[in-house]
Amino acid sequence: MIMKKLLVSYITLGYPNENDYLKFVKDADDLGTDIFELGYPPNFAKYDGPLIRRSYLKVKSMYKNFSELISRTRKITRKKIIVLTYLENIQNNLDEFLGTIKSSGADGVLLPDLLIDFPENYFKYLNRISEKGLDTVIFVSPFVPDKIISDVYKFSSPFLYYGVRPTTGIVTPVNISSLLKRLKNLTDSRVVVGFGLKGLEEIKEALSAGADGIAIGSAYVEAFENNGLSSALDVVKRVRCILDDF
Amino acid sequence: MIDLIPRYWYNIVPDLNRPLPPPLDPEDSDFSRIELLNRIIPKEVLRQQFTAERYVKIPDEVIELYSLAGRPTPLMRAKRLEELLDTPAKIYFKYEGATHSGSHKINTAIPQAYFAREEGVERVVTETGAGQWGTAVALSAALMKIKSTIFMVRVSYEQKPGRKTVMKLYGAEVYPSPSEITEYGKNELAKNSANPGSLGIAMSEAIEYVIKNDYRYLIGSVLEVVLLHQSIIGLEAIKQFEFIGEEPEVLIGCVGGGSNFAGFAYPFIGSKIGSRYIAVSSSEIKKFSKGVYEYDFPDSAGLLPMLKMITLGKDYVPPPIYSGGLRYHGLAPTLSLMIKDKIIEWMEFSEKETYSAAKLFANAQGIIPAPESAHAISAAIKIAKEAKEKNEKKIIAFNLSGHGLLDLSYYQKMEAK
Ligand SMILES: Cc1ncc(COP(=O)(O)O)c(C=O)c1O
Repeated sequence: MIMKKLLVSYITLGYPNENDYLKFVKDADDLGTDIFELGYPPNFAKYDGPLIRRSYLKVKSMYKNFSELISRTRKITRKKIIVLTYLENIQNNLDEFLGTIKSSGADGVLLPDLLIDFPENYFKYLNRISEKGLDTVIFVSPFVPDKIISDVYKFSSPFLYYGVRPTTGIVTPVNISSLLKRLKNLTDSRVVVGFGLKGLEEIKEALSAGADGIAIGSAYVEAFENNGLSSALDVVKRVRCILDDF
Repeated sequence: MIDLIPRYWYNIVPDLNRPLPPPLDPEDSDFSRIELLNRIIPKEVLRQQFTAERYVKIPDEVIELYSLAGRPTPLMRAKRLEELLDTPAKIYFKYEGATHSGSHKINTAIPQAYFAREEGVERVVTETGAGQWGTAVALSAALMKIKSTIFMVRVSYEQKPGRKTVMKLYGAEVYPSPSEITEYGKNELAKNSANPGSLGIAMSEAIEYVIKNDYRYLIGSVLEVVLLHQSIIGLEAIKQFEFIGEEPEVLIGCVGGGSNFAGFAYPFIGSKIGSRYIAVSSSEIKKFSKGVYEYDFPDSAGLLPMLKMITLGKDYVPPPIYSGGLRYHGLAPTLSLMIKDKIIEWMEFSEKETYSAAKLFANAQGIIPAPESAHAISAAIKIAKEAKEKNEKKIIAFNLSGHGLLDLSYYQKMEAK
């Protein structure tokens, strides 16, 4: 059975202002986003590139209550909402944080530093997240050894996130097909590819190599920075088109 | 002989016990250093730096040039050293000094220069301390028929005229660093006109020069791609051990940035051969006893992305020991991780101890080792002596990363002490 390819749209919570943010979510939903990933600003987004870091700086100065923004997002979309933030910042009040975002309507979390910075106890965290009734999207990359991928992929839901480059939004030379082939040998999860995918050609390459979906984030932020909402929505349209034509 | 040269390099990242922390930009950064790498490093080198493939194919031309440059290098038994130590242990060493450039550095200089030429680069640039790396780059550029520029740490430039001559003979332009060629160098000279230079400063000059002129930079150590290329050492050694029907239990190498140690030991670790792996540094530098595991810059100017590694701090000025190749603040991220996880052990030896080890080894086996490599010899001797005490028939193998025939000023000085 051929499943529809997933479009995972990342946007920083409340970026670039509340109005445009909510319009973006609503229209990106209508234009075929399957899952939303919402960036909850951490103290230091160390594994993100400059575009996303800038977007965090901006929203941090604008809002106090980010869970409130999640609630408002929940009201305008029925798609899954995955909250992206860094475990480093929430580990000390994890249950409270998870409880709050859950009651605001989030379905899951993505913590890019989980495997990298908490290698001894990530299973403990995975349990605590699922006890709160939330999914975890596990983030893996070429820096994650085979054994760890084999151990964790089953716990990633609704998909496994594969960041093919060292940071978000920055293009470095990669052989996407060979990276993906390796990953596909280790897992039977649905794999969504992201982190600095460059242009439509690379999206096609990832799909041909077996990606079940594509995550877009920096490209939206860049479009917002340059030409605002309509241009960010154009990106949604174009990517959806490639996914559907594939 | 060319048949003994492996066709693939080995990358340890997929076989680690836990994820490797990725390179990153500092918090206050207003530009992306990871993006900047695109303008500094040849594309294929950068791709290999971030690959997850366990085996990476070696281009045919690189294999031919490995052969030309002296590969495969011999795996030798230090039988007379065993006798002098009166140990039941067997001691083997892989002799990287047998390459034409005189050290293991040629193993990564050739492929990096090859990938640079493949993308049409006209000049490659680097820094050198002791001169081993600069020599390897100069030779590799000559083999590729492209040009090379080497920024050589000023003290070495003055103390080691032999190295400078060799690099120039291979057609390299050689500048003492700090130099007047770059802004970074000019600034350092303005602060102190007698600045003796350091690897960090020379590296910063080389990178600035590359960015300004759209040349490409060749990296001598620390980055995973260099360790990948160096795996040729261990892969060859595994075949050679198979051939003689032995299996080493203890694997030893000296460390500056970590490339010859990793190149030698990682293939054994990956093949689950051996039970102890020992990385050796200097007790004057104290990288292991004083270094901390944290994100730091590999270069003093902070133009390269930060790496999570064991480091003494990017501004650390190492004491003027003669093992120039060990005078570096950082350590390759995979090696740092495995030291931290105690998969790899460490030792430190003083200049005095390593000098005695070098002399003993030279008299027993006839090879004058590079002062860096003498640190590995010191560790091998220590383990062999322990084996004697416990009456164990251990099999020890170390990497002799280079010869010391251009380090005679060092031996003169130590002889005079
Ligand atoms: C002969 C020799 N051995 C060892 C080293 C240390 O470097 P690495 O740890 O990358 O092998 C050097 C560096 O210049 C060297 O010239």
